[in-house]
Amino acid sequence: MRYSALDDIRVVDLTHFIAGPYATKLLADYGAEVIKVEPPWGEGGRRLGPMRIDGDAALDRGGLFAFLNTNKVGITLDLKDSTGRAALLKLLGEADLMIENFAPGTLERLGLAPADLLGSFPRLSIISISNFGQDGSERDAILNDLTLFARGGWTYPVGEAHREPLTPPGSLAQYIGGLYAANAALQAILAREIAGRPGQHVDISLLEAAVATMIYESVTFQYTGIVRERAGRRFAVGPFMIVTLKCRDGYAGLQCVTDKQFDALCEMMGRAEMARDPRFATALQRMVNNDALLEIIERFFLEHDRHWLYREGQARAIPLVPIPTIPEVLEWEQTRARQYFETINDPALGPIRIPGAPLRFSSHRPRPSRPAPRLGEHNREILGERLGMRAHEIARMQMTEASARLS
Amino acid sequence: MTTILDGRVRAIDLSMGWAGPLLGAMLAEMGAEVIKVEDTRFFDWWRGSLSMAPPEMQPIERAPTFNTVNRGKLGVTLDLNSPRGIDLVKRLVASADILLENYSPGVMKRFGLDWDVLSSINPRLIMISMPSFGYGGPETNSRGYGNTVEAMAGVTTLTRYHDAEQPYTLSNALGDPVSGLTGTFGVLAALHERNRTGKGQWIELAQVEGVIPLMAGPIIEHQLNGEPPRAIGNRNRDCAPHGIYKCAGENTWIALAAATQEQWRAMTSALGIEHLASDPRFLDPARRKANEDALDAEISRMLSAMTQEDALDRLRNAGVHAAPVNSAAAVLGDPQLAGRGFFVPVERAVVGTHLYPGPVARFSNTPLRGDLPAPLLGEHNGDVFRRVLGMTDAEIAELEAAGIIGTAPRQYSKAS
Repeated sequence: MRYSALDDIRVVDLTHFIAGPYATKLLADYGAEVIKVEPPWGEGGRRLGPMRIDGDAALDRGGLFAFLNTNKVGITLDLKDSTGRAALLKLLGEADLMIENFAPGTLERLGLAPADLLGSFPRLSIISISNFGQDGSERDAILNDLTLFARGGWTYPVGEAHREPLTPPGSLAQYIGGLYAANAALQAILAREIAGRPGQHVDISLLEAAVATMIYESVTFQYTGIVRERAGRRFAVGPFMIVTLKCRDGYAGLQCVTDKQFDALCEMMGRAEMARDPRFATALQRMVNNDALLEIIERFFLEHDRHWLYREGQARAIPLVPIPTIPEVLEWEQTRARQYFETINDPALGPIRIPGAPLRFSSHRPRPSRPAPRLGEHNREILGERLGMRAHEIARMQMTEASARLS
Repeated sequence: MTTILDGRVRAIDLSMGWAGPLLGAMLAEMGAEVIKVEDTRFFDWWRGSLSMAPPEMQPIERAPTFNTVNRGKLGVTLDLNSPRGIDLVKRLVASADILLENYSPGVMKRFGLDWDVLSSINPRLIMISMPSFGYGGPETNSRGYGNTVEAMAGVTTLTRYHDAEQPYTLSNALGDPVSGLTGTFGVLAALHERNRTGKGQWIELAQVEGVIPLMAGPIIEHQLNGEPPRAIGNRNRDCAPHGIYKCAGENTWIALAAATQEQWRAMTSALGIEHLASDPRFLDPARRKANEDALDAEISRMLSAMTQEDALDRLRNAGVHAAPVNSAAAVLGDPQLAGRGFFVPVERAVVGTHLYPGPVARFSNTPLRGDLPAPLLGEHNGDVFRRVLGMTDAEIAELEAAGIIGTAPRQYSKAS
């Protein structure tokens, strides 16, 4: 869905893959004009998948690109070509924000150093997202999801004590980098509006974003001297019970934290007296006797269906959920009742249901999303009509349809 | 140094745990005045439990998590179950730009603090509510925290080893930081809009709806291909090796992946295992993927005789994906983070000086502030009630005597 809170903001989007496009998707979904600038051969995110197993290999996008680029305007520019750079500079002259996630140093090599751009365009702020930041001895090293999670501290405490640590799924930490970048974009705008500051350059490191969202383990370690080790199905051995448990028909997640929730859990298990058992009566005792407590809870869960546990737990205000599969997330009656997923008619993939805009504003009635742009879809509108480029110049900025197809 | 909001924006933070408090901390980093309101009986549960240490140890002032995510805020207390306490919340809201809360739906209404009431007190107010599953819908009253929200978003079902059935919860309560960061985006967008329209608004963020976008890949994959996406643990669908391997020494591991044939060759030569590159089972990506168990066994055998430091040294300039699997202690010593001064020292009463994660976004001329401590329970009662509400010392003393405000936590008593 598309809201209008930001509809006076103009963004030039040079990002690719996930973190940057998620940042600019949020800006676009909340109303900003986001001009997505791709190289003539398309950004790498078009090839990320998921693809249809039996699908047309010549499609210009996978499913993730279709999601990450809704509501954006798509143009192609070759930034190694002086015509391309001149067009970019014209766009920047009208823009509030430029967001990029090239390898550090790339903009300088293209003759587009942030300091120079800020000098030429005082309204403009530049948000740079990179693996390790714009400086430091390792700024040029490569990074993927596996190594980002590992180095950022997310992986070490997950999994069985006797096995290798288990990495989180997907690209979660990249999205978190994107969230920081989206916030930085609005922070830069507000610095101009509220503090009266000129535009500025913002440096965001994906590694630092991952560490900042790792539940402050590094602070805990300094306070206690204790490193959280893998505790199997448990989040940790602590004064709480946060655990994924096998039930009669699948798995359930329990997050029992407060005394009140523990009392309710005992009552639900038909063992109200356990809340006063000296082994478990306080949070501290529950930490000391965590294994014994887990054994009792585990036995109870194994004898019940996960949806029964969900109902009974929630009736007592205990955070307890059935762990859904991906199809169950899509069909969850809660998301249906709230019309959360939005069906877009993607020009390449057809109708697909995508996660909706997460923030609901009381002052707006959202409009349907526009699908992600085809490669260079808005070249004529933006490069031709807005910037006055001639047809042959535009043609140099795009590949022929055949050569633009992805193999 | 000028900050972004320069003290010109005031936020009232009624939230607890991590999601809402993170939003408040993001505003505090920008230079907003953020007033965190707690109840001396139902104080922020991220402070932990009074049972963790004797009272003179002040256990609830020793929670590293609370002390991190409430940095830069002013702390006041109010009895939210008394009409006088609620009246004072309203007076604070009347003076504020932003109100944030992450109670379950219905709680704010029970307090008499729902949007209809508050917006009539202050039409410029921006209020954000962050319930787990949203206002409305059959699950509106269901309770969730970061880990359970993460489960309902489809994260947990995909967090399994490639060869086992058991799902795991992530190590960081993903729903919380994602909701805090997503909520921040909403509040900042509303502030921008208010600069034009002069009007506030109510923003609703169902926490689970902020996490589901991070699972867009598998959600769309299921629609395109019908099959429920499968968990693959540390492996990768397309390439091998891609895993986490034990090194010599206790509990040290490295994450290692070769995404291309070029990286595979570079990896084998850096680690001195060229014979694997010419092994017919591992010649090309398809064969390595088909023989991945054997490949992982070979790499594990070789790395178990090499220290993490040695392996990473050899791989440093090889252009392959390699990283230590950092524990919290190792993160603190990470050379790139240290080199950029990511962790900042903060002195805080009761616990002393420690390093905390600094602001992630580095602004060239309005830096964010991460160097101010989190408040003690009720630490700023006097300052806030005098300065913001214009109360006299006598009035404040009377509130304290009546138990409406205080600095001593009161025990939650078990129902009989």
